[in-house]
Amino acid sequence: MNISGILVTALPEHVAEVAQSLSNLPGLEVNQTDVASGKLVVVQEAASVGAEVEGFKRIRVLPHVMAVDLVQHYFEHDNELIDAIPDELNGLEGIRVPTELQD
Amino acid sequence: MHLSRREFIKSGIAASTATMAGLPISKLAEAAAAELEKDWQWDKAVCRFCGVGCGIMIATQNGKIVATKGDPKAPVNKGLNCIKGYFNGKIMYGKDRLTQPLMRMKDGKFDKKGQFVPVTWEQAFDEMERQWRKTYVEKGPTGVAIIGSGQYTIQEGYTAVKLMKVGMRSNNLDPNARNCMASAVAAFMQTFGIDEPMGNYDDIEYADSIILWGANMAECHPILWSRVADRRLSNKDVRVVNLSTYHNMSSDLADLEIIFKPSTDLAIQNYIAREIIARNAVNMDFVNKHCVFSTGPYDIGYGMRPNSKFAYDAEKDIQAKELKVKLDKNEAIAQRRTEGEEVEQKNTATADKHWMISFDEFKKGVEPYTLDFVAELAKGDADEPLDKFKAKLKQLADLYIDPKRRVTSFWTMGFNQHQRGTWVNEQAYMNHLLLGKIATPGNSPFSLTGQPSACGTAREVGTFSHRLPADMLVNIPKHREISEKVWKLPAKTLNPVPGSHIVKIMRDLEDGSVKWCWVQVNNPFQHNANANHWIKAAREKDNFIIVSEAYPSVSAKVADLILPVAMIFEKWGGYGNAERRTQLWRQQVPPPGQARADVWQMLEFSKRIKLKDVWGEQNVPGLKVEGYTDGKLPSVLDEAMKMGYSPEDSLYKVLFATPENLNVKWPDAVAKGHDNHIVSLLGDGWFVEKALFEEYAQFGRGHHHDLAPFDRYYDDDVRGLKWPVVNGKETAIRFNEEYDPYVKKGAGIEFYGPALKALPTGNLDAITDTNAMPLAGKAKIFFRPYAAPAEQPDANYDLWLCTGRVLEQWHSGTMTQRVPELHRAMPSAQIWLHPNEAKKRGLKRNDLVWIESRRGKIKARLETGGRNQMPSGYAFVPWFDEAVFINRLTLDTTCPISKETDYKKCAVKVYKA
Repeated sequence: MNISGILVTALPEHVAEVAQSLSNLPGLEVNQTDVASGKLVVVQEAASVGAEVEGFKRIRVLPHVMAVDLVQHYFEHDNELIDAIPDELNGLEGIRVPTELQD
Repeated sequence: MHLSRREFIKSGIAASTATMAGLPISKLAEAAAAELEKDWQWDKAVCRFCGVGCGIMIATQNGKIVATKGDPKAPVNKGLNCIKGYFNGKIMYGKDRLTQPLMRMKDGKFDKKGQFVPVTWEQAFDEMERQWRKTYVEKGPTGVAIIGSGQYTIQEGYTAVKLMKVGMRSNNLDPNARNCMASAVAAFMQTFGIDEPMGNYDDIEYADSIILWGANMAECHPILWSRVADRRLSNKDVRVVNLSTYHNMSSDLADLEIIFKPSTDLAIQNYIAREIIARNAVNMDFVNKHCVFSTGPYDIGYGMRPNSKFAYDAEKDIQAKELKVKLDKNEAIAQRRTEGEEVEQKNTATADKHWMISFDEFKKGVEPYTLDFVAELAKGDADEPLDKFKAKLKQLADLYIDPKRRVTSFWTMGFNQHQRGTWVNEQAYMNHLLLGKIATPGNSPFSLTGQPSACGTAREVGTFSHRLPADMLVNIPKHREISEKVWKLPAKTLNPVPGSHIVKIMRDLEDGSVKWCWVQVNNPFQHNANANHWIKAAREKDNFIIVSEAYPSVSAKVADLILPVAMIFEKWGGYGNAERRTQLWRQQVPPPGQARADVWQMLEFSKRIKLKDVWGEQNVPGLKVEGYTDGKLPSVLDEAMKMGYSPEDSLYKVLFATPENLNVKWPDAVAKGHDNHIVSLLGDGWFVEKALFEEYAQFGRGHHHDLAPFDRYYDDDVRGLKWPVVNGKETAIRFNEEYDPYVKKGAGIEFYGPALKALPTGNLDAITDTNAMPLAGKAKIFFRPYAAPAEQPDANYDLWLCTGRVLEQWHSGTMTQRVPELHRAMPSAQIWLHPNEAKKRGLKRNDLVWIESRRGKIKARLETGGRNQMPSGYAFVPWFDEAVFINRLTLDTTCPISKETDYKKCAVKVYKA
């Protein structure tokens, strides 16, 4: 079980609309909003690391979202091994890159 | 109210998140957060993944990481993390994690053509040693190499420096940071005489104009981008400019987007300089007090090989430009020469040469860079009207020049990975210096970094082939002398000849001059341009390649021996980020299986080499240095014996487990119960990381690079400290008396960096007076001209190819309605083209296409939309896509001064597969 606390930033005039779009996404809960600062507190639950990443990306591409920052991650009872490291990290030597040398 | 366990956890997480954002939370939520965390041990640490250096908190329970969070007390990220931060707690647990040494074997013996077979550490080191001896006896110090990293911990980098430069007397140690930061470094040294940015991230909160040059911060430095966004959104007068060769996500927030042609950033910056002068906006008082003007030769080549012996036939036309360049129309104007003139590249080996010029000469240099000339040359989007582009350039100049505006410029790979990378970095300083907008809050030319310790390790520790710790250089006698004294070495132990930089190590493998190469925290066979050459060299030539890795990377696969490494929180370590902030962490969890930290691997190997193996007379081809016999490093064994060493002593004993270091005992109160697997394995009771840190710190203390005592970084009230740390105080802004204790009292601003601070004098074209005049305390304002890229699109290869690190998957609107599993059915490998370019080729989105350059071809899927919008004539391919090995196509041109590869400019064709 992966649970993340995520902070979303939008312009104050768009906070309500962004909150609505976020609530429409499965696995997400909008926990708190603050119009003045444009901040939205979101909690996301995902079954795997991959789902966690994809879940993050879908927030990033919502209209009017200016920034998405992660705050806390929780991995209870998590013995999951990662099938593949996401592309985000592929550039980082010492981490991991392709499975095969391909043409 | 009853909460299920899951709801309870969620409300606890939400409460922590809200607290971090400064939002009020309910008592119930607060209680949930406290209850959730009651059995966790939190410890501070630093993110593994980029040069920003975000503080993170790690919670462990029963020897496992159970949670991570952005550290609310960390000044860098103030409690936030980007998506990469999430993986700090996860990255160790990949299915294909390497946990035992693997060697290519046939019939129970090492065989270059054999298959990988698990072996013991003993077997691994035995073969490494056998191969090392074979090469060292045959070729001497220059036959061996270590490829290091900007992801080395400080202690790893320092261990590598000692093992290689002191022990093996070889300067063939170079990090991947060469291909990431070297241009920034060269420009710092040439301009200021000292490395690293003078400003810090807090400049964001003071800046009125924030200018991005070839830095897609929205995707590559999201946490700093959040700070930029906050600054922009909370101040209506703040302006953000994004200069790039294509439309990217950073443009979403930008007030001004400027799409320019490759390499014309050189021209745009000279246009700004010309405007500063034309508008009488030069801060003459500042310039007169603190600056001199300077320039250097233009005929410096492109960092390619000097001959075509190893070039494919298709590569030879470009390689020939290393020797002679025919100036095009724009270069002719920009360099005050004649179109079509053939210029022999006479200064390829002396590209860093420079001299002082007068302000009048400088003005003459920038005079051709009029708005008309630069706009016509630089406009990158064919569909944009010229007038509109001109207006944008003018606006850019306004945002720099307006005396009421504080200006922060950010750049990364767009500048650094550039055939004139050192020049273009220097031009950024040129404009800030002309305006006197530097080294005060919000006035900050700031070179961002890609790797977590490119600054703190690769640069400061001196893991480059030409460097020693604390900005010292191997070819300066005084610097060798200082180092030999600190290290208690006989005089002339150190090799005075700079070693091979990383691109050259690849070339050395191909031409057989390096035959033993150890790769650490690095993936050079993937990240070096023109990779087909190097992979073939590694697999087919007579050499031995060792790769220390956590996962089976491309480099691990081309290796002869793979050594499994401990990852970041499985060891003690420290990083130094882009704002000079040193952050140290403790081992949090043990490494899996037989994985071991790089430091342990080097120390164990050092036990196998004796002084008599390395400190006798050694052949160094090409060594021609005063006080040395040509081609020879002298034997220092007699001298060593006088100092109390024995020829039978191991490098471990002489360099690492010294009497001083053995006195730094483990266990130590600073550990607070945390383990140290290196100490346990070595078994001789010294606290390796602390001893090496303190030994290294001697180099910088009192010399502008002061680090605090090791233990200080572990105190609860510290979240890293920006060096120099003097009398317990960090330095927020260098060169400014108000912040920097190294500035002379009463000086206000002083560019005190000591390197390259005496120069001959001349005009724009040549030196006229060879007397070296001192310029202590001053910075240099360089005139550097526009120069065209070596390879450009032509009739056959008709598209520009730019590569970079972009999270392309973010574009997909189809993903927004669901949470898909990580699915690989649709290959993510993509090339971006303008829709018209696709149409012209009869291609449509998602078609499988060939991308072909002079150096090779690969397949990818075509993408025409999304977050990256390419102008006509341009292609973009992510640098490190899992399935597209783009470096088979890229060109290994480098900045001739910094030797950093240009991954941003080569020519390709694209056609249906």
